[in-house]
Amino acid sequence: MTSDIIIEKDQPGQPHRGKVFAAIHAHLDDLPYYAGGLSAKLIREGYTGYIIRTSNDEKCGRGTIAENILSNQQEHFKMAAALGFKDVFDLYYRNHLMGGISPVEIRGRLILIFRMLKVDTIISFNPWGHGEENPDHWVTGRAVEEACWMSGMANDFPEHLEAGIKPHPVRERYYLYARPGQPFNRVVDVGAHIEKKIDAIVECRSQGDGNAGSLLRARLAKQGRRLPLLGGDDRAADRAYVRQFLLDDDREYGRPHGLEYAERFYYIDQRPPAKSRVDEFVEKNALPL
Amino acid sequence: MERRSFLGRSVAAASALGGVPAADDAPPAELPRPGGARFTPTAFAIPHSGYSPFTTPDYYTFASDLVIERPRTGKPHQGKVLAAIQPHSDDVPLYCGGTVAKLIDEGYTGYLIRISNDEGSGRTLGHGVVQNEIDNHEVAKALGCQKAFSFYYRNHRMDDDAEIEIRARLIFLYRLLQVDTILTMDPYNHYEENPDHLVACRAAEAACWMAAGAKDYPEHFKAGLQPIHVREKYYHARSPQGHNLVNRVVDISAYIDPKVRANVANKGKGPAGEAGSRLRQQLAKEGRRLPLLGDDDDTANFAYVKHFLMDDFRLLGEQFGLGYAEAFRYIGPEPNYAEGLRKYVDEHAVRL
Repeated sequence: MTSDIIIEKDQPGQPHRGKVFAAIHAHLDDLPYYAGGLSAKLIREGYTGYIIRTSNDEKCGRGTIAENILSNQQEHFKMAAALGFKDVFDLYYRNHLMGGISPVEIRGRLILIFRMLKVDTIISFNPWGHGEENPDHWVTGRAVEEACWMSGMANDFPEHLEAGIKPHPVRERYYLYARPGQPFNRVVDVGAHIEKKIDAIVECRSQGDGNAGSLLRARLAKQGRRLPLLGGDDRAADRAYVRQFLLDDDREYGRPHGLEYAERFYYIDQRPPAKSRVDEFVEKNALPL
Repeated sequence: MERRSFLGRSVAAASALGGVPAADDAPPAELPRPGGARFTPTAFAIPHSGYSPFTTPDYYTFASDLVIERPRTGKPHQGKVLAAIQPHSDDVPLYCGGTVAKLIDEGYTGYLIRISNDEGSGRTLGHGVVQNEIDNHEVAKALGCQKAFSFYYRNHRMDDDAEIEIRARLIFLYRLLQVDTILTMDPYNHYEENPDHLVACRAAEAACWMAAGAKDYPEHFKAGLQPIHVREKYYHARSPQGHNLVNRVVDISAYIDPKVRANVANKGKGPAGEAGSRLRQQLAKEGRRLPLLGDDDDTANFAYVKHFLMDDFRLLGEQFGLGYAEAFRYIGPEPNYAEGLRKYVDEHAVRL
């Protein structure tokens, strides 16, 4: 935690209209858990949101490796739709093996996408966050961070300019609080968006326990029992399970600030001021010749 | 390098474009028989002038369906796009500049893509990079290319770069420019000593078919690009060490001067550039002159390249009855297999 924590509350109207954010995660269930509320909030406040998944999630699911790739792909589309993302990009690098890929190649792809979509803001892993055991996370975070500023440089991948795709730096970053002990300087109130977050999580069935409620309901039924909490159908069971058992972190992050649900981020703002210090100095001190 | 001669006479060419035979259809020459064993040579040494190592390779292997690609009238390639891909600023002008100029003259829109930054040649590393950047543009202009691209990977160190990343950039460019044809070094050229050559031409080759794949880099399509299958490839050998399979000899007689001018434009590296004027100045200091080099630097540079550096291409052409020639492993569009199958079914199907 930093000493200057800011509580980001819901803003009325659509103050972000015209702006674009990209949420870049490695696996189906990363974004919905760590930033599903923030994503829904930013879209509600006017942002156009795009989601980019870097891995193919082949290791997660109840099927074969091939079946897992398909099920995660399909669920990724549904999860993105639940949060209101406009479009989905899947890069399909092999799950758990991203430590072996070319950093410059994935970065090049992200630069193209950032430029093409004119991304103003990203949500992704903190490449400097401690305790990160998953190579897919840190490779993704690192590539995203580098792509953010390089996408503004005309001499990086100049062939993009030939295609009419202009340089476009990414100025705002929300780094996920993905592991205990990672830094955060912003707590986002996601109370008004928790239903959408639950909608997104329940689509994560191959991984992320999105269908844990219905599985528990079926198990109990076989034993001749039921949990009233889980309701009368699978959908209700999944949603209730997520709300009851899987959002403890969000409740805990909100509690110190009087919020019902919150998500934590390390926020970086590199937007230039409307007037530079030199402009201000010139305005104050310039004399007629 | 000492060049051995496997054959005492010129190699035989099989056929020519348009069905015009181009060589003398000579029968196999008498061969040496070491230890009395009969053997058929698979590599052919061709005559060399001895003026420069950077011309034609030590050996060629010729395919039985070798063709001579002659100049064509009109603009038969109008609407088609070629990309000449070179690791270094002097590769295309030296090894396939005549063919690039010919194809562009016949209607192709041409682009030149340089993969390295050529930092290895120049007074300092920085000077080398700048001069070769300029040269790449000037070479493109001399050959009639519409535009030159440079990727600037570090010279002589490209085996440390991610081939997949270079390939991705080439896929992007092929799709953007809608490239039909590439000219580059043969990725199967034996005795290739330069890692930049190996990496660049492997990436160029793999990008040709992957550029057509809807599932390779699908984000390109969201950016408005279209898939493209690069269906024609002209692979040239490197020299002096080199040995590739040749199935196409291109008559560049009418394009030797643009080729010379492209090489003169290449000042930062290679054997051409301002070598003529330097020789002229050196001789003047010694109180001598070569009439060949004329009375000014421009004439000297042009004459030097044409006389000393193009002579091996003349000698190659001579083998096929041509003024000047360049040799390639050419890979053309795939046959229409579906059509072949349909024809077979039409011819052989019987009623139930």
